[in-house]
Amino acid sequence: MKKIIITISALFPCLCFAGLISLEDSELQKINGQAGVTLETDGHFTIAELAYTDDGNTLQLENIEQGSQADISQNSLHTQVVDIAADGRLQIRSTLAPTALQIGAVRINNSAASFGQFRLNYSAESYLTLGATTDSDNYVEGSYQTAISDAELIWTTNGNSLSFDDIGYNADISRLAISSATDGSRTGLGISLDEFSYRFSTGGMKLGDISLGTLDASLAISGNAEIYAGGRDGSEGLSVNADMIILDDPDNYVRYTDDGNSLFMGDFNGDLKLTNFTFDVMTDHLLLGYDELSGSFNANRILIGDSSNPVGSVQLDFLFADGNGYQNRFALYPGIVLPDYSALPTAAIQNYATDFYSGLDDSSDGLSAALQWNLANAEAAYIDDGRMVVVSGIESYGSGNLTLDVRSFDHDGNTATADKTAIALGLSQVSGSYSIDGLRVGNKNSPLQGGAELLLSLEVFQTMDFNLNGYTLITAGGVSGGGIQLDGDYFFTDSNIGLSVDENGRGVWATGVDYDIHLRGLQVDVSSTGISMNRTEQWSTMDIDNMRWGDRDSGTSLGRVVLERFEKGSSLTINPGGSGAVCVGGSGGDETSCAAAGGRWEDRGDEGMTVALKAAFEPEGYTSDGSLARNRLTWENNRSVDASGNPQSGSGTQIIFDGFSTNDGLGPADSNDYGFQANLKIDVYETKVAKKFTGTDDNGVYGEQGDELIYDDDSRTSYTYVASPTDAEQLLRPLGFAVQGNVSFKDFQIDQVQLSHPSGGAQTVFSGIVMQNMDITTNLTATPIR
Amino acid sequence: MKKTIITLLSFLSVSAIAMEPMSADDMGMVTGQGGVYLSGDLTINENGGPLNVDGPSAWQASCDTATADAVCGARIAVNTGDNAGSSGWFVLDNIRGRFSFEGLTLKTRTINSGFEGDGAAFNSDVLEVGLPNSLEYESVSLTVANSSSARPTDANFQQTNIFTLNINGQANLQGNLLVYPTGTP
Repeated sequence: MKKIIITISALFPCLCFAGLISLEDSELQKINGQAGVTLETDGHFTIAELAYTDDGNTLQLENIEQGSQADISQNSLHTQVVDIAADGRLQIRSTLAPTALQIGAVRINNSAASFGQFRLNYSAESYLTLGATTDSDNYVEGSYQTAISDAELIWTTNGNSLSFDDIGYNADISRLAISSATDGSRTGLGISLDEFSYRFSTGGMKLGDISLGTLDASLAISGNAEIYAGGRDGSEGLSVNADMIILDDPDNYVRYTDDGNSLFMGDFNGDLKLTNFTFDVMTDHLLLGYDELSGSFNANRILIGDSSNPVGSVQLDFLFADGNGYQNRFALYPGIVLPDYSALPTAAIQNYATDFYSGLDDSSDGLSAALQWNLANAEAAYIDDGRMVVVSGIESYGSGNLTLDVRSFDHDGNTATADKTAIALGLSQVSGSYSIDGLRVGNKNSPLQGGAELLLSLEVFQTMDFNLNGYTLITAGGVSGGGIQLDGDYFFTDSNIGLSVDENGRGVWATGVDYDIHLRGLQVDVSSTGISMNRTEQWSTMDIDNMRWGDRDSGTSLGRVVLERFEKGSSLTINPGGSGAVCVGGSGGDETSCAAAGGRWEDRGDEGMTVALKAAFEPEGYTSDGSLARNRLTWENNRSVDASGNPQSGSGTQIIFDGFSTNDGLGPADSNDYGFQANLKIDVYETKVAKKFTGTDDNGVYGEQGDELIYDDDSRTSYTYVASPTDAEQLLRPLGFAVQGNVSFKDFQIDQVQLSHPSGGAQTVFSGIVMQNMDITTNLTATPIR
Repeated sequence: MKKTIITLLSFLSVSAIAMEPMSADDMGMVTGQGGVYLSGDLTINENGGPLNVDGPSAWQASCDTATADAVCGARIAVNTGDNAGSSGWFVLDNIRGRFSFEGLTLKTRTINSGFEGDGAAFNSDVLEVGLPNSLEYESVSLTVANSSSARPTDANFQQTNIFTLNINGQANLQGNLLVYPTGTP
């Protein structure tokens, strides 16, 4: 049996009610159109503990206090006007003066650690109407409007806070109904919301009074929820079935703003269905989970910085459900659950983990979670000027541990400067997998094609099995004003990466991959032209034990490949807009001059994306952690094997491209501002695909060499080869990625190229390679092959 | 049709790249595979390089498509000696031009048949680079040279140009380049 225990140490010590005065009939007749009853509550309260007990386990909210926002120990004023409308509906209008509500700790079964402290400062006005039901199944029907202003939500752990300032919230539920609900043998409560529209804004998300930026949103939804007694564990708990529709309203939007520049997603709609979401209190954690979560989401307007230049549209369909031996479960623990350091894969990871959690113990506040997920399927579509590419058959599953707390962080390694407040996110023993079946182009029902390799340029692999430990500190403040800074260390161990894999799992695999990445001062900002990520310092080592052809486990190996990187001042920017009109295969500023130069004029539209990468490779030197780092590529083979037949790293012959770096033209001692730059303007566009050989192709379609592949209609399921396609037929060319790229550098040096063997020593092949003044421009179209 | 696998390069005995002329029938054997079809062009230093814009004064120049200024191209210097400080450099200088191609394909496949019976014996996976039918060269040029040091801005820099190569025209390429590992990994 559930028990609600409320211990109230001081309940409304000063309650001041407006007096109720009986009125004469003659006086009542004088009062027309006035409110019925006004209640004014001027109060302050504290609750020592509010406890919810589920199957003998207790969730405790401690030291709850409500009072004036200026001084929580003082009273706050709450006014309610209760009236009966002419049509018989009950009307309650409430006004809450600036008020503070604080929860001192949230524990489970008297745990030493808490989820932290929470405080909400707010003022509110609300209007509730309740009337006769129009449906006999409903207990009550009505409408509800509320406006919360000047609000502030603060989460504090161990003395450091994350806050959301100046929150404004307006909600309007045009029809609210509460009814009974049945789900097989269970009877519960049904809640129905029709045309629930809300607006939300924050003046700032702040860490230690420094802003990360602002958020605002407007959304219109309708939904239903059924709430039942009984969770997933034991006889008590809670379970919920819910479905929600995001109404197709062009005014729907979500916006993040940094220094006046925004990431904007608008004109979106979708739906969401949640089946058997459960909530249980366990002996030392809260257990949340669901049987199935499915939905779709369509965003028709996406802006990155530049409000006049949309990127295109995205559509997402997804299904989370049990499978692959995994379920969707979330165990939430109060406080910081320290990882088992001895179980971490390497001594280096153990050291980073120990540093990350230093100063914290079992009584430290925060949130810890043990997570398990299974994404059964997802389809992600990108639409550029009406042309769709679908990344199809996305699956993922895995499990792992997470910690989250707010702490102070010595961001510059200098004890003389003030520490920053940081959100600390720890990931340990995360083991998972994801895969992509392939691409569909044109529409969501087009045949599945290969071509997921095209995503490699965005560092998205076709498939990956990974083991990850990672430690991230997020602080406020980018390069200018708001924005976000990340500092982190990430370790992938014994992972497998599918670089180009067919439907039978055969292809090119990087197996036994250990990949450690260290980021210092990665600053993310939104500007008037796009989003930028500036990396103050980064070093990494990717050690591929075997580069295999064929099967992941047994394919023939090319040997071991090790790539070490050391960069300072590298950056990545993403701007809206692709290449626009281009002349492919020639030079020309318009269609006529392009054709005269032997080129092909392509107008790829206004949408699309431009990705600009700058990698400033440093000469060998010391990192801010004091370790020695360099840029080096090593290929090793002819390795000896151990008793199990596994090749031993470092035992074979190596060819080493040692010490490559960039500079501004005078050599490694020169500045390194320009680096290695790659600018990619990416569009989805009709591409010319010519038959390479006379005869029938894989799908039994005949064509002459040089004929173009043209689809029969918009369904893009069947095609023929056409010698000279008409303008209409050219619109039915295969869709692919059209990339206008530019790669340039001022000076790129490789210190030496060596051949090395542990017993034979090192021999120098080249004692220096210097490449200068390179500027390569490309116009490429990349089309998936059926 | 006689089909042969010709090993062009075997590097450290672990990898191989093979040229494989293929008929339409051979192409028809390849099923159930993905991959990518690439077309387009690649232009080197059409309007000079970044050092011509704001590099050291030795590099700065006004470069456009028509200019013959030697500093407007890209430069690659290689030292084949065992000491970069005391030996000369082999140089490919003033590299410019445009390459256009259509129908370069990349995909992975298993070869387990064909090739006059060699395919069954081979029975391995390859990365197949399908060569484009045509590769066009437009105003491609480079100068082969020797120099005393890597960079024109180095002290006492001296360079002797040996010859300059200019290429315009079209090369017809047919078949596939097969890349696969072999030997001890």
